[in-house]
Amino acid sequence: MTQMILCGRGGQGIVFLTRLLGDIATQKGLNVISSETHGMAVRGGSVNSHLKIGPFSSPLIRWGQADCLVSLDSSETLNNEHFLKQGGIVFENSSASSESGLYRVDASNMARSIGGIQLENVILLGFSIFLSNFEISLDDIRQQLAEGSRYRTREQNLAALEAGVRVAEALME
Amino acid sequence: MSIVTNDSPNLIRFLMGNEAIARGVIESGCALATAYPGTPSSEVMESLTRWKKELRYPIYLEWSINEKVAFEVAYGASLAGSRSAVIMKMVGLNVASDPFLSAAYLGVRGGLVVIVADDPGPHSSQTEQDSRFFAWFAKVPVYDPASPAEALSMTRRAFDLSEKYHVPVMLRPCLRVCHARQNVSMSGPLDPVTVGPFQKNWTKWAATPKFRLVLHGELNEKIKNISLQESDTRPRLISGAKESTLAIITSGSVSSHVQDIVVSDSRLSEVPVYKVDAPYPVNHKALQELVDSKTQTLVIEETYPVIELQLIDKTKVRGRISGHVPQQGELTPEVVERIIMNFSGVETEEMVSPTIRARRPSLCAGCPHRPAFFMIKKLFSESIFTGDIGCYTLGVNLGAVDTCLCMGASIGMASGFAHAADKTDNDQVVATIGDSTFFHAGVPALINAVHTGANFVLVLMDNNITAMTGGQPTPATDFLADGASAVPVDMEKLIRGCGVKSLEVVDPYDYRALEEALTTAKFFSHEKRSGVSVVITRRACIRSRSSSVPNIKFQVGENCDRCMTCIRDLECPAISFVKQEKIVQIDLDLCSGCGFCVDVCPSQAIAAWRNVK
Ligand code: SF4
Ligand code: SF4
Repeated sequence: MTQMILCGRGGQGIVFLTRLLGDIATQKGLNVISSETHGMAVRGGSVNSHLKIGPFSSPLIRWGQADCLVSLDSSETLNNEHFLKQGGIVFENSSASSESGLYRVDASNMARSIGGIQLENVILLGFSIFLSNFEISLDDIRQQLAEGSRYRTREQNLAALEAGVRVAEALME
Repeated sequence: MSIVTNDSPNLIRFLMGNEAIARGVIESGCALATAYPGTPSSEVMESLTRWKKELRYPIYLEWSINEKVAFEVAYGASLAGSRSAVIMKMVGLNVASDPFLSAAYLGVRGGLVVIVADDPGPHSSQTEQDSRFFAWFAKVPVYDPASPAEALSMTRRAFDLSEKYHVPVMLRPCLRVCHARQNVSMSGPLDPVTVGPFQKNWTKWAATPKFRLVLHGELNEKIKNISLQESDTRPRLISGAKESTLAIITSGSVSSHVQDIVVSDSRLSEVPVYKVDAPYPVNHKALQELVDSKTQTLVIEETYPVIELQLIDKTKVRGRISGHVPQQGELTPEVVERIIMNFSGVETEEMVSPTIRARRPSLCAGCPHRPAFFMIKKLFSESIFTGDIGCYTLGVNLGAVDTCLCMGASIGMASGFAHAADKTDNDQVVATIGDSTFFHAGVPALINAVHTGANFVLVLMDNNITAMTGGQPTPATDFLADGASAVPVDMEKLIRGCGVKSLEVVDPYDYRALEEALTTAKFFSHEKRSGVSVVITRRACIRSRSSSVPNIKFQVGENCDRCMTCIRDLECPAISFVKQEKIVQIDLDLCSGCGFCVDVCPSQAIAAWRNVK
């Protein structure tokens, strides 16, 4: 069972990440349910997605139950921290340095150097290796990204993922 | 003929609730679907257009001009014998209420499913109204799905029920179903179903009041039979132990929170949870028997007490009427958890609500509405600004929207301000409305304003699309929902046809032209007081396919004296003040190169950065 909150500003590709992970879980025959923000808020406002893998009925995560928080914007981390369970971990797009349980990467800058700001979300996915018992492996993610239809985005997404993984691995040491 | 081409049955996909509903529509053999976009319902029609293409499914699809027309088109198709669907958000049903209520009396031929998405919260709407209540008012049966998977199955059941009893049937998904995603198993699409050609019978299809009485009796009979004969109207045990002295009755998306909470807490897992799939019309006897057999029953439903009110004896019932469930606001899992804990007598710790500093939404950087609002604010500093529904409601951020009521109200309300008895404060009014909203409900209001000689300026922000909900076509676009070609309606001719004498069309990126057009309109309506003047600010939404944003970025140079005009008056999200360095900066990731800030800056400090290819 995994419960994950993904948050950021409208336009940062939160829904893309949620769908990607949900698609993978579905293909693996798992039960997965999620909830996402649409409407007015996506005009640059605060958005978040809830993703739950396991025998859940509700698409929403209760306060204090999330295993992990993926944040594309550090100010949104504060808005969503209450979802985290005790000992839950945070992956954050930020230029600050990492702390225990709070793993950071300057995904925006890294994304620009790989091919564009829109890749910042995929970089954060590389941090999924910090999650013990996560149903979705890096190879699953690689495979799913490799199925993308447009060559350029496909290659860039894969490069962004690997860049994220490298940072995560360095942090693990 | 089989239409199943490249789709194998029993496929499992991670579907959004709205996609699942669309799938249910084509698995039901539906031949026509209409909709007006509105969060959280818009993706149903979008998904239909995708399934149509993907499966070459022969369904007619349209984004209609408004919900009333959408309903009537779908109803016509039903009388013609086809299964049909109409999709809208809950406030859309207010617009479609006239045909909706009448159609319940007349009945249907081909199954007609009215899909109405509710928005408890509200997250993206003007009200928290409960469409199930509306269904009850109209005497139309309603299904209330708890999840995307159930939404698919209920869509199919709704078509069957509609055809079996010859009544329209409502499917009422809440936002938490519409915008949830889940692994959903799909079946193959069903060839479009028809019940045979229309048979003329005016006593039924064009009934006069005398026959309406008969029809009302028939409708009452149908509703009674549904409540007695259909199992979906009875409470169904979904978890817990029947024997408990307590019970929870629930329905719809909130039932999914109830279930997760009860199942995950051993102190609660005995409490039996009953779900009602069709909360109107309920089987009164079955429901009352359940309540009578328990010492206490808790009813949890969104957002009005529909099941609760249908219970005849409520003495042992806790819910909204008894004050145990809040009367407003979304029933989030935390709220539901509290209610259930209290009800079951389980101790809980006091919960501290987190402090949330949500970022306010803002018009996109480069949005063509922004310059229009900027200029309105600049030229009409004394005016009252009646606004409308769309992205441009965000004109509040620029201080250029003072009112927002419902679709099209900017124009009607502007007339009211203009005609009000106290002219001293209200005599300068500027209404703003988008193109899609103008077609939807603004046209009759404009005719009315012209006819009655109301003096105000109307700024019609034409971005050639319904932007807020994801870029659906309007009657002025040359394509239909599924991309087929359409006859574009000429907006200028329409406005002139409404009797408007002063009409200007400008590109809002063009500072001088915009200033000039609005000044002309001001003179016509506010000074000469010669009636309504219309300024169309025309430029495609930067998110739309037809957008033509210059491929250029801008930066702030040394001349900047930190007057903050651009930040305060233009409110472009790409421009910000960097506290540490005390400089005004343009975020190159966000800047879309509209260049309007160049003219806004009094010190001429903003200039092009470099051409991006
Ligand atoms: S989506 Fe289009 S209309 Fe809406 S704020 Fe952005 S640019 Fe403006
Ligand atoms: S050019 Fe100026 S106003 Fe336009 S998007 Fe860029 S920063 Fe904003």
